Amino acid sequence: MWLFMLPSVVVMALVLFYPFFSAVYYSFFNYYLGSTNVTFAGFDNYTALLSEERFWLDLGNTFFIVGVSVALQLVIGLALALALYSCTRGVRLISLLNFLPHVVTPVVGGIFLKWMFVGRWGLLDATLIGFNIFPPDWLGDPGWAKFTVIVADTWKFMPFLMLVLYAGLQSFDTALLEAAAIDGASAWQRLWYIILPMMKPLILFVVAIRTMDAFRFFDLIYVLTNGGPGTATETITLYTYQLAFRLLEVGRASALGVLTLIVVAIMVAVMIWFMQRRGREAF
Amino acid sequence: MKSRYQIPLLIFLSIFTFINLVPILWGLVISLKQPADAFSIPPTLIFEPTLIFHWEVWVERGFLNFLLNSIIVAAGTIFISVPIGTLAAYGLARTKTRHASTLLFGLLAIRMLPQILLAIPFFVMARWLSLIDTYIMMIMAMVAINQPFTIWLMRSFFVDVPVELDEAAMIDGCNRWQAFWYVVLPAVRPGLAVTSLFSMLLAYNEFLFALILTGSRTKTLPVAIAEYGGEDIHYWSLSAAGAIGIMLPAVIFTILVQRHLIRGLTFGAVKG
Repeated sequence: MWLFMLPSVVVMALVLFYPFFSAVYYSFFNYYLGSTNVTFAGFDNYTALLSEERFWLDLGNTFFIVGVSVALQLVIGLALALALYSCTRGVRLISLLNFLPHVVTPVVGGIFLKWMFVGRWGLLDATLIGFNIFPPDWLGDPGWAKFTVIVADTWKFMPFLMLVLYAGLQSFDTALLEAAAIDGASAWQRLWYIILPMMKPLILFVVAIRTMDAFRFFDLIYVLTNGGPGTATETITLYTYQLAFRLLEVGRASALGVLTLIVVAIMVAVMIWFMQRRGREAF
Repeated sequence: MKSRYQIPLLIFLSIFTFINLVPILWGLVISLKQPADAFSIPPTLIFEPTLIFHWEVWVERGFLNFLLNSIIVAAGTIFISVPIGTLAAYGLARTKTRHASTLLFGLLAIRMLPQILLAIPFFVMARWLSLIDTYIMMIMAMVAINQPFTIWLMRSFFVDVPVELDEAAMIDGCNRWQAFWYVVLPAVRPGLAVTSLFSMLLAYNEFLFALILTGSRTKTLPVAIAEYGGEDIHYWSLSAAGAIGIMLPAVIFTILVQRHLIRGLTFGAVKG
């Protein structure tokens, strides 16, 4: 049996584990790409990052953008899944159409959204001006840029939650819901006391997946604001990109990547712990 | 539980769907408009559509070359990632030890890796071996990202095949390999197709690695379109035509795998 796994293990060792461990290795060196002068730095890269304001700002940005957009995606996705669940016709077409933003190449999605939000010529501005409303600078104002990035992330990833949660709803036994309806439970009561508790494991699962992915998300923000204005929408990933591929500070950038991994790992560990604890309580 | 409010719900869902698709529809509209129409305020909805920008961006501005690059990278990724991933998935699906579940969990943990952390050593290696702007580096990176996903997804299809099938084949005189090749593999053919399509889409959509590992010769479509950007209004019609064209394979993909979308999206953890 293990023989079947061998080719994959060999390839992964080469293209996955070797690069990963070399990145961890770089993170302990003063390593500028192109310079031959590579010196051992110990934990200097880490301490320098941790004492830097930009690192903490970016971490805050990341948490804010990821937190708000994942929460929005969950609420909208769940609402849509429930709406689809209550319909008998057109469900397949509607879910497929709503799914499109998710499969569109992220860069292309970012460009489509840019034509919504870009100053003056964007569809949103043009429409608002048509109604004599003076629109804010969606991409240029620090506060609004965060808003726009969150909207973009929600647009792109809400379909994923919608589809998975809808599939979860469909797999439930409807007998319990029918019994509750006969006993006089209102739609809200059925949602709150039956559907949501049944959905809890699935909800935690998709939120965990989304949070992991959102943390390394890069394409949309790169196209929309590139972290700007200033560093208002700069996430940890964008900062790592700047360090590694603009400033060629490979050592420092690797340290930042390792720190990101640690943050994500802690969050996922907390979520798994939460799931298991809930599982024991047998909701 | 079918609701009495179905009609209003459907109307609401249709309106929502339309709003959700406005960015894509607007991109389509821009790509079909003459610049004179594109920049009028308020935006005009009645105009003479033209395909001239589609022709210009794909043929005259070399997007067909970038498409070829994208196809080479996606095909290379599938040809390496899917066969070895399928073998490993079969091995894991038919192993019932603690080690197997530890391995599976480890594969899922790889998903936590920030891609940018992998991108750094890939960039350094590529510079070192002067393999920047070659397909090989890009394909290797895509295999690295794809492999855990491929194994998980294929495994979920193998798990659906009853073990009795393997056992029957082996009683009839097949060895392990023959049972796999002649009996089990044909049974998971749809799974193989779905996994390949998902791997293809991942490679086709990839931007970060393409941005740092490809150059003028091997540039893939996402990098090419990002260079056009959405800023300079003189290029709007062109980049809209490019964007719409790049989107088409993704749309076809969705239609092809619609029955397996949920399984693919959740690593095979949820069967839709």
